[in-house]
Amino acid sequence: MEDPSIDKVAISGPALASMIQRFSTSQGSVDGLIFGHVSHIGPTLTDDSPNSTSSATLIATITGFFCSGSTHSFYNSSGRVDPVLLRRLVQAQAQSPSAHLLGWFSGRRKTHLRPSLREFSVSNALSSNPNLTFPIQNPPEGPSNPNLVPSLFLLFASPITDQTIHTHEYRAYHFRASKHSFEPKSIQIVNIGPAFRAQYENFSPNSPFPNLPFELRVSPMIVDRGEENLDQLRQVNKGQSELDMCSEGLEVGSLSRLMGSEAANYTTGVEDLYEKMLVKIESLTTLVEKSSAKVLEQENLNRKLRYKAARSAALE
Amino acid sequence: MSPETAPPLIAAQLNYLLSHFPLVVKIENKWSGSKYYPGILDRFTLVISYCLDVIKWDIIFDAESPMAAPDVIFGPDDENFQQFLVLRGEEEGDTKSPKNFLNDWNSRDPTQLMLLIQELRDQYMSFQKKRVAEVDDDRLKFEISTIVAREGIEMHMSSGVDKPEEVKFSVPLLDMNINKMVPGCPWKHKQKIYLQVIYPVEKKYVSTPSAPRLKLVSTTELKSIFSIDDVKLPTWLNGMCMAEYLPHLEESLENQVLEAVSLIDVRRRFIEALALQFGRPLEADPVFCRKATFLAASGVFTFLVHVLISTQFPKQQPELMLQSSQHFNSQGAPIKSLFLTEYPWSPRWEIPLMAERICDYLTDEALNFKRYCNEPQLQH
Repeated sequence: MEDPSIDKVAISGPALASMIQRFSTSQGSVDGLIFGHVSHIGPTLTDDSPNSTSSATLIATITGFFCSGSTHSFYNSSGRVDPVLLRRLVQAQAQSPSAHLLGWFSGRRKTHLRPSLREFSVSNALSSNPNLTFPIQNPPEGPSNPNLVPSLFLLFASPITDQTIHTHEYRAYHFRASKHSFEPKSIQIVNIGPAFRAQYENFSPNSPFPNLPFELRVSPMIVDRGEENLDQLRQVNKGQSELDMCSEGLEVGSLSRLMGSEAANYTTGVEDLYEKMLVKIESLTTLVEKSSAKVLEQENLNRKLRYKAARSAALE
Repeated sequence: MSPETAPPLIAAQLNYLLSHFPLVVKIENKWSGSKYYPGILDRFTLVISYCLDVIKWDIIFDAESPMAAPDVIFGPDDENFQQFLVLRGEEEGDTKSPKNFLNDWNSRDPTQLMLLIQELRDQYMSFQKKRVAEVDDDRLKFEISTIVAREGIEMHMSSGVDKPEEVKFSVPLLDMNINKMVPGCPWKHKQKIYLQVIYPVEKKYVSTPSAPRLKLVSTTELKSIFSIDDVKLPTWLNGMCMAEYLPHLEESLENQVLEAVSLIDVRRRFIEALALQFGRPLEADPVFCRKATFLAASGVFTFLVHVLISTQFPKQQPELMLQSSQHFNSQGAPIKSLFLTEYPWSPRWEIPLMAERICDYLTDEALNFKRYCNEPQLQH
């Protein structure tokens, strides 16, 4: 089988940082999927490099990821991929048509930075799945343009003994389906700056604009279709009332106080607005705080229960 | 939970593995990957004997879900082993593959980890066999064809960036059960003697292949009756092959092992003869008869006589050590003599005579020892 080699993996600094953050804040090991596209970069014309054999390169650009927060999110303990779970995850993360499933990642604390048996099996299964192929974004001119398979694997680990220099390690691999083996690849971290200007387009926002059904509530054109739209109308009203609740005390109408005859009270008007905003934010923060505390409490309880269950199981 | 323990389900798996694995396996390192409970151990480095060497595999459990199946990270030199495992699993239709153990992991069954490791090790053996078979060396191919039928043979291909390519064999010798030959044998593992043969992989243009490196290795417990270091290996003649070499070696080894076993009885009779002189021993090694301790007295001075008997007895005379029952050094430990090896001895004496002569010697030596004990213990 034709199996083009990916030469480099590019990821934006914030995306990598965010992946590491998800890994380091999770309770245990994590896994997830990575999305992006593979593009083809033509040979660069340089006169003074005699060994410019670097003809054309394939660069995999990671534009998004999904972290499951746990392990075994789309495969079982022997590394067999569950197609239903995988499809559900991929669909839930449906991004723009140019973002394909590139592969997956795994993060495990205090382990060696080498792919494990299970990780090998999962990568092998992913890259041999014929339903997941995708094309190269800007293929070179030529007769054959093979499709690619999700074969990227990012491995995150933390050192077994505490290090003073670094807390996390990562490595990228390209799983070659034809050779059934991992090939380590270098990761290029793309940041904002003059050195990376040429690559900005790879990260240009390509997520679709959220679908906002625009409804003219009093349009005479749709009055006739009233019956079937009643439900829809009710839903819109419900949404509106929820929105109103959020903007309570901050109605657009009050902006009028900043203009015209009432402008004399401009300062008090603005102060009043800010005050209300502050109160709102404060109540929001306490709300968030309370709910986070509850979540943490529940998590702790769950963990205790799990240990208890494990212990009682062992005693039997 | 107390600090530094494994969750009970995982501990049960490990304990079963350590006590029931037919070969030598150890836990070299254990640590915790848990974020919240750093005392709960869920990562382990197993050291498993293979081909007279060891392989180290990391077994990764998850303290957060102790019921889940573990994952395995193999050594850095064995990257292709995973490939071998996965491809083989596909070929054989998953009937016999470590995958099955991981698929149907039952954390309540403590035998699971041992079965998994056993299966993985078996697969590792086939993996190495396949690697060795792929080596392009005519002599090696011939050697393998002649000895591959030997039961329990293990091989290992070592290659690396800065290491020369070598093929290592571990050939089990002597088709006899030494454990059964020793009455009352306390050994848990079956005692074996192996010949380690290391062939350098030859370049095509070398005309005369160099001799392999040979070394005899025995399981550690065998040392109490038979020391492998005393065996002199026959020389490897030019152009020899293993099939020629092994029968001679095995024959001479067999005789030596049989002699070593018969010597246990000679030592036993010697201790019995000593008992006639000194009275019943306070303590004696009843299985291998390598040591015995007697209580003796010279006048009112009572002391212990430790007799240490080597596997070369009666060619080598026993070492004696005296220990006073009445004198102590400044640390409160009883005063002991040095090892006494210079006393009249002849391997040709009858055993009762040997005991008698030792008794005679000690009658005189006791006085020296008493004097030594009564000296102020300055340097001790």
